[in-house]
Amino acid sequence: MGRAVDDSKTEIPPGTLYMLILKTLESGPRHGYGIAQRIHQLSHDVLRVEEGSLYPALQRMLIKGWVVAEWRMSETNRRARFYQPTPAGRKQLGTEVSEFDRVMQAIVRVLETA
Amino acid sequence: MAWISELARRLAFAVRRKKFSSELDEEMRTHLELKAQTHLRQGIAPDEARYAARREFGNTLLLREQSRDFWGYRWIEQFAADLRFGVRMLVKNPGFAAVAVLTLALGIGVNSVIFSVISTMLLRKPPVRDPDRLMMLFSRNVGAVGSGDEASRSPVSPPDFLDWRAQTTAFASIAAASSFEGDESQTHVTVSGGSEPERVPGGAVSASYFDVLGVSPLLGRAFQPGEDQPGHNRVMLLRADLWKRSFGADPRVLGRTVKVNGDVYTVIGVMPDTFRQLWIFPEQLWIPLTFTPAQLSPAGRAQRSLSVFGRLKSGVTEAQARSELQTIAKRIAASNPETNKDWGSANVLTLQEYAIQESNAGPALAFLMATVAFVLLIACANLANLLLARNANRQREFAIRAALGAGRLRVVRQLLSECLLLALLGGGLGLLFAEWGVHLLHGMFNWNEWSILIAEQLSIDRNVLLFTLAVSVATAVIFGLAPAFQVSRRDPNSAIKEGSRSTTAGRDHHRLQNLLVAGQLALSLILLVGAGLFVKSFVEEMQSKPGMNPHNVLTASISLTGKFYKDPAHQLSFFQGVLHRLAGSPEADSAAVTSDLPYTFPGRANFLIEGRPAPQPDSKDWKESWAGYFAVSAGYFGATQIPLRQGREFTRADDAGSAPVVIVNEAFARKFFTNGGLGRYISVSPDGAPAGGASGSTPPVWRQVVGVVGDVNEYMGQTTWRPHVFVPFLQAPGASMNLVVRLRTNPAAFASTLRQAVWSVDKDQPISTIRTMDRVLMDSGQGDDVMADLMGAFAMIALVMAAVGIYGLIAYLVGRRTHELGVRMALGARRREVLLLVLRGSMPMLLAGVGLGFLISLAMPRLVSASFQDFHVRSGWILAGTPVTVLLVALASCYFPARKASRVEPTVALRCE
Repeated sequence: MGRAVDDSKTEIPPGTLYMLILKTLESGPRHGYGIAQRIHQLSHDVLRVEEGSLYPALQRMLIKGWVVAEWRMSETNRRARFYQPTPAGRKQLGTEVSEFDRVMQAIVRVLETA
Repeated sequence: MAWISELARRLAFAVRRKKFSSELDEEMRTHLELKAQTHLRQGIAPDEARYAARREFGNTLLLREQSRDFWGYRWIEQFAADLRFGVRMLVKNPGFAAVAVLTLALGIGVNSVIFSVISTMLLRKPPVRDPDRLMMLFSRNVGAVGSGDEASRSPVSPPDFLDWRAQTTAFASIAAASSFEGDESQTHVTVSGGSEPERVPGGAVSASYFDVLGVSPLLGRAFQPGEDQPGHNRVMLLRADLWKRSFGADPRVLGRTVKVNGDVYTVIGVMPDTFRQLWIFPEQLWIPLTFTPAQLSPAGRAQRSLSVFGRLKSGVTEAQARSELQTIAKRIAASNPETNKDWGSANVLTLQEYAIQESNAGPALAFLMATVAFVLLIACANLANLLLARNANRQREFAIRAALGAGRLRVVRQLLSECLLLALLGGGLGLLFAEWGVHLLHGMFNWNEWSILIAEQLSIDRNVLLFTLAVSVATAVIFGLAPAFQVSRRDPNSAIKEGSRSTTAGRDHHRLQNLLVAGQLALSLILLVGAGLFVKSFVEEMQSKPGMNPHNVLTASISLTGKFYKDPAHQLSFFQGVLHRLAGSPEADSAAVTSDLPYTFPGRANFLIEGRPAPQPDSKDWKESWAGYFAVSAGYFGATQIPLRQGREFTRADDAGSAPVVIVNEAFARKFFTNGGLGRYISVSPDGAPAGGASGSTPPVWRQVVGVVGDVNEYMGQTTWRPHVFVPFLQAPGASMNLVVRLRTNPAAFASTLRQAVWSVDKDQPISTIRTMDRVLMDSGQGDDVMADLMGAFAMIALVMAAVGIYGLIAYLVGRRTHELGVRMALGARRREVLLLVLRGSMPMLLAGVGLGFLISLAMPRLVSASFQDFHVRSGWILAGTPVTVLLVALASCYFPARKASRVEPTVALRCE
């Protein structure tokens, strides 16, 4: 984290945001900012989640019933909404991951042979 | 199922949107602060850190909107916003809101009332198991010509019923009930053994009757197989309401014995009283149906008196059952030509179909429903005009909306939402009106037991609620759509510029309003003509000479029951005793008994005139040789004031020991004798057997004609007189008679004296109906008074609404022209000229409406008389007078706003706006 504010953004590939959010929540409940941070870290600062897409995505996941939210105290002792995957959410993660794998392998095959 | 829980979550959001919203805000705030802290840790200055965080976060407001859009449904929110705006608009214009909602409430209310009648009479399913599979089976007379529906719904004779039951394969089982169409004395039984003797409708039914119907007893058991065999049949079932009324709902009633018409029966069960919901089931108690050897003999096939019910086997359709039954009936007719020659067919109907056909209420209901639909259309036209006027004043608002980017559909949707709000308010208030209207109808449906049964069930049920909701939404669309599109068509640019100053609105705009008013006028004219026909018909009926004096007369029906009164001598002594006591009362002027009251469809008697050959049964002469039959005591013609034209009345000397005599009415004398017929001899047989004794076994009793009396109708609205014969009660006693007492005072007050007189002779004899003779006449109109009242009331509502509509439109138009009229008057136009100018402007609209209405109303008399039997009204005055009335009302509605306009001071008018 030695760098200053990094303005170079790498867009998250369309359709993968839900999968990424659900994945970060596998290791335990997080609040919105935590989710964004976690994705940023795990991707070695490559992926940056836009707040403008994070909150609408979280709202949609709440409606779909993939996550549930709960107000709790954060590690820095402030009130924050923590998200947690539901069984339906874990199932969704599974389908999205395998679908992503399939597409990814297909793309790789195309790139190697062409 | 996932979508259900999703919907639930969305709904939860809609209900608690404030909370969700503030939570989202807080969450985003937290996010921003956490982010700023991170920046801070990275060594950025606090203000700079916060600013950077916010910059990265983006437009919070937009973000919030986007996040929230996931919740709820966008259009619902917009709709809710439209409704909220609509409520504000209504609150701001309470006058407009009140007129609009009241108009709609009236229009919707009358529709709900009439629909509640339709729902009760036609839509309710009978309270039996699987009602669509339960059929009624009928004999069908293929020889009958012109007798219409009734020939295809004839009852069934016992031998035919047994053959049908043995041969049918389409029905799982069929059961018979003794006819509920017979005369009162057959369908009513007297029950004693309860708290007091009572006359109630009862039925004799096959043992399997309740199985076929699919109705289980509330208490005890239903009939078992074999209990409809002679010797095992002394068991009976009570309906729950009779059980509660007469036996105090005592469960120990099972096993008790009850006397029914003098015979003793053991109570074995109680049936639920939901049963009564259909008027074709009036019975309050049931006994097993048994057949006598005479009924089962070959001649018994001609005595068709049973109602037959059958439950279809699964998989069999109504049409299949009908055709099978027709084959069976044809076969029976082929082997029994002497009784069934014309009866080689059969008919199958569901209970509901039967009830609809038999109630014969179709035309009346169709007329009423069309009338209230017209009333609603007029209300809609009024509202459309109100909205057009109001929208014209809102041009700027719509223009600004359009300029801000509201699409055309969005504006239309907003206006329709406002209309829907109005319509729902109107519908709600309309339901209150309807509740009140139904309450009024309860009192009006009283002309016979059938109508009273309908009145008891008449209510705002689920069907009516759905109907009202549907009508409300439909009206919103009807009256809202045209004005809404009119608004959305206008160019926002010019509207903003010009809307500020009232100029005369486009021609197009007014043409629609004028058309609406012309349409209203035409509709209300048609309604008024229709209503006028019904009212005039009723008034003519009431004013037509009844042939007697019905005022100040009290009547009471009594059917003597029990073995004791099977003896004619006891019948005689009972009624003579009652008459003697009545004659002694100071209020009574005269008293008599008669087998049938006037205006109540008398029993029929076959007769034979001495010196003429007895007609062959079923020949043309045979069909002519029937007359209404009355057994009356001495003094009957005095008590009813039926005038004696020739000869003498009966006296007490005309008894069993003296020469047989008869009195005929003028219709009889005119038809069968050349000069009154006094002194001629006729033979009268009231039982349906040939009067001459066709078999020759019993010689005819020749009665000398001793008098001729005036004609009296058999029912209200009858157009031709029918022949009647009267025989002395002392020579032809009976157990079912009607007391007729002419009083010096108010007849209704005499009822208790009359009861005392009856009970002082025999305290066990119930009196079934006590009514004044005026009431008897009214009741025989079969609801004609209700029809006249309703049609009249609806047409008046329509006319008032149309008048209000015209007034409103002219007032509005004149208001828009205040400036112009001011200029005219400033330039020297006189008040009279201004008044005429306004009136002249509205004339094309009024004349077009009245003219159109007049042309259509010319067809009304034919339409009405095609739908109602015996409808005969000279309609000339109504056809000519109604358009004049409507035109006058319309002119008056124009005159007042026009006069107001002509009275405005020019200076005021010029300064206006």
